[in-house]
Amino acid sequence: MEKLHNLEHLNMSDEELFSMADRDELASERITAPRYSYWQSVFRVFFKKKINIIALGLLAVMLIFIYVYPMAIGYDASVDPYVNLMDSSTKHLPPWAAFDRFGFQLKWILGAGKSGESTFDAIWYGSRISVTLALVCAAINMTVGVVIGALWGFSKKVDVFMTEVYNIIANVPYILLISVIVLIMSASFWAMVFALTVTGWIGIAYFIRTQVIIIRDREYNLASRCLGTPVTRIAMKNILPFMTSVIVTLVAAEIPSYISYEVFLSYIGMGLKDMSLGKLIEDAQSAMVTPGWEFEFWSPVAVASIIAVVLYLVGQNLGDASDPRTHM
Amino acid sequence: MTKYLISRIIRAVVSVVIVVAVVMVMIYSFLDKQSIFANDPVFTKQKSNGKQVYMMQEWERYGYLDYVNYTDYLQELTDNGAITSEQRDVYKNLGKNAAGANDGAAEYIQKFTEFYQSQGYTVVPLKADTRANGAVKDGGQPRLYAYRDVPILNRLWNYFSGLFKVDNIHTVEEDVGERGLEFTLYDPVYGGNKFSPAIMGNGTHHKYLLYFDNQFPYIHQNLLKVKLGMSYSVNKGIDVFDTMTQSQGSFVKSTITYPSGWAEDSADDLHTATYSAGSLEKGELNQKYFVDDYTSVTTVKSGMSKMGYSFVIGILSVILAYMLAIPVGIAMALKKDKFMDKLGTFYIIFIMAVPSLGYIFLFKAIGSSVGLPAKFDMQNPTWLMYILPIVSLALPSIANLMKWLRRYMIDQMNSDYVKFARSGGLSEREIFSKHILKNAIIPIVHGIPGSMLGALTGAIITERVYVVPGVGNLLTTAINSYDNGVIVGVTLFYALLSVTSVILGDILMSMVDPRISFTAKAR
Repeated sequence: MEKLHNLEHLNMSDEELFSMADRDELASERITAPRYSYWQSVFRVFFKKKINIIALGLLAVMLIFIYVYPMAIGYDASVDPYVNLMDSSTKHLPPWAAFDRFGFQLKWILGAGKSGESTFDAIWYGSRISVTLALVCAAINMTVGVVIGALWGFSKKVDVFMTEVYNIIANVPYILLISVIVLIMSASFWAMVFALTVTGWIGIAYFIRTQVIIIRDREYNLASRCLGTPVTRIAMKNILPFMTSVIVTLVAAEIPSYISYEVFLSYIGMGLKDMSLGKLIEDAQSAMVTPGWEFEFWSPVAVASIIAVVLYLVGQNLGDASDPRTHM
Repeated sequence: MTKYLISRIIRAVVSVVIVVAVVMVMIYSFLDKQSIFANDPVFTKQKSNGKQVYMMQEWERYGYLDYVNYTDYLQELTDNGAITSEQRDVYKNLGKNAAGANDGAAEYIQKFTEFYQSQGYTVVPLKADTRANGAVKDGGQPRLYAYRDVPILNRLWNYFSGLFKVDNIHTVEEDVGERGLEFTLYDPVYGGNKFSPAIMGNGTHHKYLLYFDNQFPYIHQNLLKVKLGMSYSVNKGIDVFDTMTQSQGSFVKSTITYPSGWAEDSADDLHTATYSAGSLEKGELNQKYFVDDYTSVTTVKSGMSKMGYSFVIGILSVILAYMLAIPVGIAMALKKDKFMDKLGTFYIIFIMAVPSLGYIFLFKAIGSSVGLPAKFDMQNPTWLMYILPIVSLALPSIANLMKWLRRYMIDQMNSDYVKFARSGGLSEREIFSKHILKNAIIPIVHGIPGSMLGALTGAIITERVYVVPGVGNLLTTAINSYDNGVIVGVTLFYALLSVTSVILGDILMSMVDPRISFTAKAR
């Protein structure tokens, strides 16, 4: 403060002393707020819940067993299930009997199946096919569904057309479609992927369409449109962030549903020819009612359920965490 | 509203027709025609050229193609008077290489070929299939026929125009004496003494067009019949609709007085008598019972129809689901994040994530360990055997209803009008029952017609697991045995139910909530 009174002693002209400061447009717009990173906050919220860490750990273990374990032991689906085929003392063994017969090994922890094979190995090998199928189908259906659903929600012309298409496709029996495709293309992995995705995206697209319509006409988007924001930027900046949590939640529900559907199709005899979880369950159906053989049936059911529950739990909580409203 | 409804119904019908068309293209054009013979015992007995002709005949019967035989063509010419029946018998002789044994035949074979080729048919001459010594093999006679694939539009038209059959006194082509309807107050089935009005016909397909009996709904008609599609292998020669609605189980015998006056303990249901040409003359047994050609009867059985079982189980599970899920869903929303909510959420996650097969089997194991019957037994029906299928079927719908009701209620609880009501001094109870619940229940109401009509279609897994003789497995059985008639019929049935339930749901929703209007112009 003192200096201000003594300016005259500096012997400087007014021009030297006072100059117009540059107006920094950027600095004047800046709001001082704590730094916010979307994905960082998502993970912070996600890991705050202990159950998520447990579920994620479980998921990691499962993925290792699904993708690494069969390769590590060199499982061959055309050889391994039949190595004990000729030895009748190895068939339909509960775990304790299998330990007696083969010694204490990890692979006999779930007993032996109808041709003396290790149920444990067969389940992980089968899970690989089922989980891969679910992941591939979910990836295809989600991508196609979200893109088409966004278009469907944005354009009124597309809406009229797609609603009729939806009415038709939704009424063609799903089982019929799948079985016709399987009959034409044989029950291979990719035929199944094709069958599950050829119309599977439309349900997701319909869901996304409804969400887009709800958000599209909100006031802030109206304002944005009035200010002349191009539609693509509205879609990318205004609507997509809103949809992230919806999409993640949807993925969480989709992946287990494909696992469940694969099991269901196998059960009614329209599933894969490969050794999937569904096929294992179907094969072991008769074992369920035979005393002492129950392990063969319940093990794949339990593993399918655990995989599905873990995937669902992680997905749901990730969906919750990806909703910015939970970041406060 | 009426105008709107009519346009909705028209659009629904159009989409149903397209669905049927899509399914027809899928099964008639994409699938191998040969596959329908997979389970046909007659087919395996056919040999050589006979097999080809049998295939053609069956394909025509099941609507794959139009098929014309050379012999039929000659017969038609004879009927027209173009050739005499002696000429016909001469020209019939195709010779060993199907090119005509004599000049006359060759001329007509030529005509046949040219005529049908110009119509877009493919003409197939089959040479005689002979052994080394020149003798014709079994079924190896020479053949000549023409066929053409049925265009999809024709097929659709034939299907939809044949959907309803109205019986009239000119239905039967053969000579049946005086055609006409007869109205009687004393139904002869009951001995002619009991008062029971009935309309009987002569010349109609069914003998009884309208009658009363002691079974729900007591008055029955045979005048208008729905024909959804003929079955090939699931229930050979029977229409899908009949397959779904005919009663099953063991015979119920009672003393029956036949038209001839003969009385006997039998399960025959004389009210179902239909015309069967020449059956009286041919069947000696028929002469003992009947006085005319209306001899083909079905039997009275103790069980319900396929649809009946599915519907009883389905509708009870729907009622159970709504009765359980609505209070639990409300309780979950009221006590958000408390124990009740957490328990409910756990259940929802369990049902959503665990494969349906998994929890149905788990539930079956639990149920049978408690001592409930785990298998459906039509012969010794008890009420207990319904419990497990009903509860199994209700499990997923309970979870689904709970999930959405909770979601809707929580959304409503945070809305401004609720805060306003609270600030206005309304009690929590009042806010809940008069505001939140009323608004939250609207989307739930939309699903009620769908779930009720859905009960008619049965459930695939539940019916398989508990061996319920319902309709749920009809589609999968038909697909596995390549029964196209059944597939198309069932598809049409499902599609009709689904579009009807959407329309009914919308109507119900606009009745419950007057703010919802489908006719008002969109904002």
